[in-house]
Amino acid sequence: MAPFIQAQNLTLAFRSKNRESVTALTGLNLAVAKGEFVSIVGPSGCGKSTFLNVLLGLIKHDSGTLELNGTPITGPGQERAMVFQEFGLLPWRTVAANVELGLEIKGTPAAERAKHAAKLINLVGLNGFENHYPHELSGGMKQRVGLARALATEPEVLLMDEPFAALDAQTRDLMQTELLQIWERTNKTVLFVTHSIEEAAYLSDRVIVMTARPGRTKDVLQIKLPRPREYEMRLTPEFNEIKLRIWEVLKEELTSRGMP
Amino acid sequence: MTAREYFAEHRRLWLGLCSVFFVVSAWELVLTYIFPVNPFFFTKPSLIAAAFKEQIQGAKLWHDLAVSSQAFLWGFSFAVIVGIPVGLVMGWRRRVEYSLDPFLTALYASPLVALAPLFIIVFGVGVLGKAALVFLLSVFPFVFNAFAGVKSTDSLLINVIRSFGGSEKDLYLKVILPSTMPYIIAGARLAIGRGLVGIIVGEFYAASEGIGFAITQAGDTYRLPDMFVGIIILSLIAVVLTELMRKLEMTVAPWKASEEVR
Repeated sequence: MAPFIQAQNLTLAFRSKNRESVTALTGLNLAVAKGEFVSIVGPSGCGKSTFLNVLLGLIKHDSGTLELNGTPITGPGQERAMVFQEFGLLPWRTVAANVELGLEIKGTPAAERAKHAAKLINLVGLNGFENHYPHELSGGMKQRVGLARALATEPEVLLMDEPFAALDAQTRDLMQTELLQIWERTNKTVLFVTHSIEEAAYLSDRVIVMTARPGRTKDVLQIKLPRPREYEMRLTPEFNEIKLRIWEVLKEELTSRGMP
Repeated sequence: MTAREYFAEHRRLWLGLCSVFFVVSAWELVLTYIFPVNPFFFTKPSLIAAAFKEQIQGAKLWHDLAVSSQAFLWGFSFAVIVGIPVGLVMGWRRRVEYSLDPFLTALYASPLVALAPLFIIVFGVGVLGKAALVFLLSVFPFVFNAFAGVKSTDSLLINVIRSFGGSEKDLYLKVILPSTMPYIIAGARLAIGRGLVGIIVGEFYAASEGIGFAITQAGDTYRLPDMFVGIIILSLIAVVLTELMRKLEMTVAPWKASEEVR
């Protein structure tokens, strides 16, 4: 059976400001099964965020194939939604109105939108904040809104671009555990880009390590830890061993670029 | 709340009132006791107050205000209707920006009141001529601020709308316009001041009624208290209108207001 998301030989170049062509991705291969949680780690600037934007349909790749459920991805679509690192909430909209954004664009009737948004606000634990504006929320709460907004259009694939990078360490830990709970309840396929080895190891079924730019798949590691995973699991020797394995693959890419 | 706390909290209001009171009293006292100038050449607050009382009881002041307001409202409304869409499209479409840029830069930089005689010739001395002048002076803040607002729209938010499959219309209505709103209101604040200049210059030039005409006429006939009444009424109008815009900005863009406070 063909994988749910499949990228083969994906290549992408763009022109930088001084008109030089920069290769962002070269020969990237990836296969993700339905319902799988896959993290992508790699050195800064390796094109992992760019790849998510290609998947989202905001950037077109130059060559290679990219398919979702057997259909080529040519632009944005209902079955995919993104959670952005800097949240991307509309500051003039309340929490509820932000969550409804995607449904509004889709043309869902107002009453149905409100009902659906209330359900998702409940899911991410923001009850009582429906009428607050983003500037009144903490970073963690903003990203809960971001997550609820992405889930609102009922996508099959959730793309997450370093969603917790802008949060403080404790909020981050909390959000990771909650994300796992939500994922287990909703059965989404998740592609999660992160800089954090620990985050990737804790959340994922598989971790994809990308090479330094131009980015392609360097290695794929299976994370065979039991689910549901609790925070305490991170303190076990097995978990540390997995982190070490990821680190050893990633280290070569970091040092090959003269970075520590 | 003790009296001390009350004054500490409303320091801005009370210090402002005190300083106005001090300056007005000093003006009155100096001209009464130290340099008793001939009232023909300069005037003092007590005479202005008397003239003020007389004028607001009469009909001429209200008629002049009505005449000037009419021209102002027409010119200003057209500045809003034309300025905002032009600025929005300029900000979003580079071709439009580059095509309009030379005209706008030249017109914005030059002292447009120099065109007053031309406008009076073309549009006449009535409401139309003055409204055209108000339009000319107040349209640019709308164009430029709407333009700057679009340019500073967060590209992340544009991507958010696109990622949900949003159309060009969604981009305008859901992101570009709301994020430009505070800029447009700031532009309106500038435009009010410039529009008032338009009215006054138009009426200085050629008119037989209106508040600007009343000011020049009082000046020409050495009725200084009456002249000051006109000037004070104008500045009161300007202050009230700009304060209204500030209030509007707080309601339309509460997130901006909170950024300023922090």
